[in-house]
Amino acid sequence: MSHETFDEQAAAYALDALDAGERAAFEAHLSGCARCESTLRASREALAAVVLEVPAAVPPPEVRAELMRRVGGRADTRSRTDTRRLWLRWAMATAAAMVVGGFLTGMFVAARYEAELGRVARETSRLREDLNRHEAALQTRVTAYQAVVELLRDPATRVIAMKGAGPSPTAEGRVVWNETSGGQVLVAKLPPAPEGKAYEMWTIAGGQPTPAGVFQVDASGQAIHRLPPGSGRVDVFAITLEPAAGVPAPTGPIVLASTK
Amino acid sequence: MGNVGEELIRRMAAGDSEAFARFYDRYSPLVYPLILRIVRDRPDAADVLQDVFWETWRSAGTYDAGRGTPEAWIVTRARARAIDRIRSVRRRSETFVAPLDEALAAAPSDPGGDAAERAADRSVVTGALDRLPGPQREVLELAYYGGLTQTEIAERIKQPLGTVKTRTRLGLERLREIMKR
Repeated sequence: MSHETFDEQAAAYALDALDAGERAAFEAHLSGCARCESTLRASREALAAVVLEVPAAVPPPEVRAELMRRVGGRADTRSRTDTRRLWLRWAMATAAAMVVGGFLTGMFVAARYEAELGRVARETSRLREDLNRHEAALQTRVTAYQAVVELLRDPATRVIAMKGAGPSPTAEGRVVWNETSGGQVLVAKLPPAPEGKAYEMWTIAGGQPTPAGVFQVDASGQAIHRLPPGSGRVDVFAITLEPAAGVPAPTGPIVLASTK
Repeated sequence: MGNVGEELIRRMAAGDSEAFARFYDRYSPLVYPLILRIVRDRPDAADVLQDVFWETWRSAGTYDAGRGTPEAWIVTRARARAIDRIRSVRRRSETFVAPLDEALAAAPSDPGGDAAERAADRSVVTGALDRLPGPQREVLELAYYGGLTQTEIAERIKQPLGTVKTRTRLGLERLREIMKR
């Protein structure tokens, strides 16, 4: 008999799949064969590992209780408790546990649901705030446009171009100006003012600048700013970069100025 | 993992019932799905489980760490007792094929059964056995979970006995390779 036959028998023996006669023959061989013992040991370990891959499942607790009783010596002489009855008790306990489990699951789902609702509510209110901000900005812009159109209806209204200067040579500006009712200045391509700074508008007459309000540009570099009526003729319109609160007389660089 | 189990078995051999409780808690959830898968009946599975652990308590003194890990020790025993149970049931009822088909039917689409049963079924579908060629896996499953001898397997799958023997050997070789990693 070549050893290959024993290799085959060792595998079948590990699976307990040998027929009775063959099993007896193999067992006789096994006791003296290190190779077969090693094959058998490795096969059983591999099979056990396969079995242990399956997710664990806790058996009915009555089995443990019964075993502990027997180990304690008290139940040893008695016949074992009928496992069918134990099984029934276990099934009832399981059913009860499932009810509790279902309740807890319900609470868990409710908690998750509330958390989700809260998140949706926060999201909604954030969107609403965004929308409100947007709407307010649009409203301001529409009001300014209306004011510009109103001004342009008046034949006394002039439109004066402003040119970029100093730090922002590409900036553009238009002043829609009416000596009696004031005006609007429209600027574009002006970079947003640095932190703590703002743009300040000046009306200059006879070399004397008069402050005409501070303003900021939006992210796209545009702004519309209302100018109060002046006290007479204006020679030059200019915009400087100043501290955010504004100053009574220009201190910063001129960023836009009308050409006279 | 083995060392903890070995220590528990040593203490069990010395009559330490506390160690036995810990041994049971550690290994019963691992072998219970196997027993359930083989016997397919919860009261029977609970019965077999109790027998298996009672035996480990009684024979802890004969455990030899040199011959295998505690895992292999308990799994081999659990599988053997579960097969004993279905073999005796088959003898009694003289129905042979039907319960076997049931035992082997890995029916992942079966909506019945609880998590343990489904988990037991899944081992066929997703486990290391799945990485064997189908014919090798088939003979291993028929032997290991179905409790058939090689002669019975040959009859059942209508293949020569020699083929069944070869598949068994190759399948187990492959399984040992997979599990070594």
